Amino acid sequence: MADSHQLPAIDPREISIPQDHPWARMPMIAGGVGIVFLAVSLIWGLSGSSQQLWNSYLVACLFFISLGLGCMFFVLATLASRAGWSVAVRRLAEHGMATLPVLGVLMLPLLFLGLHDLYHWTHHEAVEADPLLRAKSGYLNEPFFLIRSIFYIVAWTLVAWWFRKESMRQDEAGDPAITRKLQARSAPALIVFGVTLTFASFDWIMSLDPHWYSTIFGVYFFAGSFLGALALLVLLIIRLQARDLLTSVVTYEHFHDLGKLLFGFVVFWAYIAFSQFMLIWYGAIPEETLWYAHRWEHGWREVSIFLAAGHFALPFFFLLPISIKRRKITIAVASVWLLLVHYIDLYWLVMPSRTTTVDGVAGALGFHPHLLDLTCLIGVGGVFLGALAYLMRRPKLVPMRDPRLAESLSYENI
Amino acid sequence: MAQAVMDIDPVDKRPDLIGGKPDFHDITESVAQPLEWKPSLGWYITLAISMGLLGVFGVSIAWLMWEGIGIWGNNVPVAWGWPIVNFVFWVGIGHAGTLISAVLFLFRQRWRTSINRAAEAMTLFAVMCALVFPGIHTGRPWVAYWMLPLPNQMDMWPQFRSPLMWDVFAVSIYFTVSALFWYLGLIPDLATVRDRAKAGLRKITFGFLSLGWRGSHRQWLHYERAYLLLAGLATPLVLSVHSVVSFDFATSQLPGWHTTVFPPYFVAGAIFSGMAMVLTLMLICRVVFKMEHIINMLHFDRMAKLILLTGSLVGYAYGIEFFIAWYSGNPFEQFAFLNRAFGPYAWAYWIMVSCNVLSPQIFWFKKARTNVVILFIVSILVNIGMWFERFVIVVTSLHRDFLPASWDYFTPTWWDIATLAGSFGLFFTLFTLFVRFLPMVAIAEVKGVLPQAHAHEEAEAEDRTGDELHKAAAQEGADPEGEGSWGLLAKFSDPSALRAACTKVREAGYKAWDAHTPFPVHGLERAMGLGRSMVPYAVLVLGLGGAAAGMLLQWWVSVEAYPLVISGKPFFSWPAFVPIMFETGVLGGALGAVLGFLHFSRLPRHHHPLFESEEFAGVSDDEFFISIEAEDPQFDRRTTTAFLKKAGASGVEAVPEPA
Repeated sequence: MADSHQLPAIDPREISIPQDHPWARMPMIAGGVGIVFLAVSLIWGLSGSSQQLWNSYLVACLFFISLGLGCMFFVLATLASRAGWSVAVRRLAEHGMATLPVLGVLMLPLLFLGLHDLYHWTHHEAVEADPLLRAKSGYLNEPFFLIRSIFYIVAWTLVAWWFRKESMRQDEAGDPAITRKLQARSAPALIVFGVTLTFASFDWIMSLDPHWYSTIFGVYFFAGSFLGALALLVLLIIRLQARDLLTSVVTYEHFHDLGKLLFGFVVFWAYIAFSQFMLIWYGAIPEETLWYAHRWEHGWREVSIFLAAGHFALPFFFLLPISIKRRKITIAVASVWLLLVHYIDLYWLVMPSRTTTVDGVAGALGFHPHLLDLTCLIGVGGVFLGALAYLMRRPKLVPMRDPRLAESLSYENI
Repeated sequence: MAQAVMDIDPVDKRPDLIGGKPDFHDITESVAQPLEWKPSLGWYITLAISMGLLGVFGVSIAWLMWEGIGIWGNNVPVAWGWPIVNFVFWVGIGHAGTLISAVLFLFRQRWRTSINRAAEAMTLFAVMCALVFPGIHTGRPWVAYWMLPLPNQMDMWPQFRSPLMWDVFAVSIYFTVSALFWYLGLIPDLATVRDRAKAGLRKITFGFLSLGWRGSHRQWLHYERAYLLLAGLATPLVLSVHSVVSFDFATSQLPGWHTTVFPPYFVAGAIFSGMAMVLTLMLICRVVFKMEHIINMLHFDRMAKLILLTGSLVGYAYGIEFFIAWYSGNPFEQFAFLNRAFGPYAWAYWIMVSCNVLSPQIFWFKKARTNVVILFIVSILVNIGMWFERFVIVVTSLHRDFLPASWDYFTPTWWDIATLAGSFGLFFTLFTLFVRFLPMVAIAEVKGVLPQAHAHEEAEAEDRTGDELHKAAAQEGADPEGEGSWGLLAKFSDPSALRAACTKVREAGYKAWDAHTPFPVHGLERAMGLGRSMVPYAVLVLGLGGAAAGMLLQWWVSVEAYPLVISGKPFFSWPAFVPIMFETGVLGGALGAVLGFLHFSRLPRHHHPLFESEEFAGVSDDEFFISIEAEDPQFDRRTTTAFLKKAGASGVEAVPEPA
């Protein structure tokens, strides 16, 4: 058993990115590509279909914000539970959550230009004509919505910035008091996290269909977010290891545990998704079932079935054996797949709520993938990846003086 | 159980999990003694009071059978009164045991070992209490077996689209799987009690129940795998059970019941109430049975944190429900919640909020988490608060329904109160008997978390390989003690010596041999060269089979045998069939784990030559052995004896064939 107070010997070359490393150029390349694609999407969309643009843009932003939030949960939950195994991968999650301020900035154009194209309740004449919307106007009105949105972004920025900063400060002095402080504040931060994530999902996604409501919705968004973040972490580690980084720090034991969490949250997501669906199906109250009806017609039925199979059944059986979780290639395949279905899940939450008016009758718009979906995804994704690589450029890739690192480097699953 | 761990927390410098630096034998003594002593007067008094309450329960139920449901306070809008409140209350209590045994096990929380046994027992007793209430609430309990899908002359079948049917399956399967999990964990400890018993009824009973457990590592291998898989199955099961209970309410269209957050909210609440009950019981038991070193402040500190966490989750659900009731814009939803907080039952609502959300907030302070008085008070408050939560949900949503003319106020009768009090009698009677007759702490597991339980790779005295050692032993030879011809039994001082010796025995080429330990020693399977356990395949096959059988049964009953139109739903309503399919799948998997374990470890086997050795009784206490059978081709009485001594044995004994 390793002495817990002695710092393990790690080759310094594998925990920081050298100047001439391919990853050192990533901020420029990915960020550049992202900005170009964003510019193209905005110009194209604003000159053409702004409704399509903002819907695609919202899904892209939500996807990466959810990954950032999932990373934040990883950091806060492992600190709050005094977990040891996760220390070797925690720094990557800290970088992941620190992209949230950048993603928050990307939300600003949408918040200031796109609300009318996205949210039915921002139209005064619609609110006047609809008693339900009038009843909700104390909450669903533009100024309050903007204040709330900015509040979420500021709260996430503060949490991400403070936890990452303190954790990096420990790299220098190695003071265990910092770990104590991080642990002590992680629990209150989790409360902030839970409340802001819930209301952000209510505001940004649920209010797209302003008549519809579901109390479990925040939990649903959380389940997918954390699953996505775990997949992101796995892929990040595998890409870094392919470039000779973290090769001895992150072991099969970490892949195994991340794989177990992936499996667990595949099941958890299915549990939450099924609970929401089954209760609404069983209750059969029109204002609730309509939301699912929109997702069962005009081409969305196949997407819904695909989600049930691809977001649950397939990864459930695939991730079951131990050997899948302890082999890089298989866990990478699972992670890529789970990120893909997580994107489709968000797409499925947002897009069917678009309405169109045909012959004076409002109805749901069918499943029509658009090139803007892709350009927005690449645009926001490029900026996200660029920001992530920029954050990773200087600091160590592991919290090398965390008192629990020794445990993380030596534990075994089997 | 097999993972390297830090003995002392590197940040908080917390004390050891088990105080007082006990050795393995001390643990056996501490836990086994309450079973062997003459019970104290206090125990008899507790039992007498509990049985008195149990009598009240019996009388209440008997009177109910005679008179009917009318003896309760249930009235027309409040058709679900206290019985359902009590049912949900007890099922909730019954969630902490499996949480501690299974979820904390999967999260490698080693502190669970001190409290998991008692919590599991508590789970079983709470579920028994729970099962009584829907049974007696059916109106005609003597035909309660109609709830089961049994072929009958009337050709009638249960209605699988009803959430109440899902409950029958969920709760009874939960009880079965919890009992299996509990029993599997008990097997090594039952062997400990067997080995300590001199003779007589105790020896026979525990000998029978322990299935002939020999602490063999070939058995531990399957045991650990089965335990892990059961934990993996019990985790979603525990989530599903209270989710299904929540479906009883949430599938309806009633404001205050029909809300999608109910499943995870009920689960959090169930764990919350169960943890509080564990806390209450453990605070008492540790003092009464002098186990303060085994169940210490560290355990309470962590239980208090879990109570704070789950209490906050429950608070989150209360808040979200209230917000969405307003946000829905639906006047009926809004009324239901305003009526809860400010209507005739406002007192109950605010008791619920104060006890469940506010009182645990004191656990933000470590001083409170380690103060026995505060812990006890909060645990009682949470127990009360969680009962009121179910009362608020059941009664306030019903008493003012859609038709104001039928509004009414529900008041419990004395029989309601007597039945609830009586159910505590059943619970405490069973628990009092449990602490007297079964080991209330998982002996083998606690030994496994002691610092000395880990085999260390320290400098070994012998650096020759097993093969070389065996050749040298063939030159010298030695005689074992005793005359037996079945094989040899070598004794080792500690896990490290045993593991080193196992490597040598494997290298020397022995096949018919085994290691025997009081707890699973980490790394032994590698030293012994054992392969993977095959138990997972049994779990997979029976699990999938169970799920398929569950779905097939529901399809056949609902579509072919007994098609009925219910609330306009199709005959084959697959979403309604998923809960039972899941439950039967878990049941199949759990049976697969236990049967697979028994099959692959060749148990039960109540007679084994090793039991002829008197020394061998120490295997379930603090001694470590290697046995080599005479039928091994390598076996030579003198050579093998010398070899085992060279490998580090402190003594070698010849084991006779059983008479």
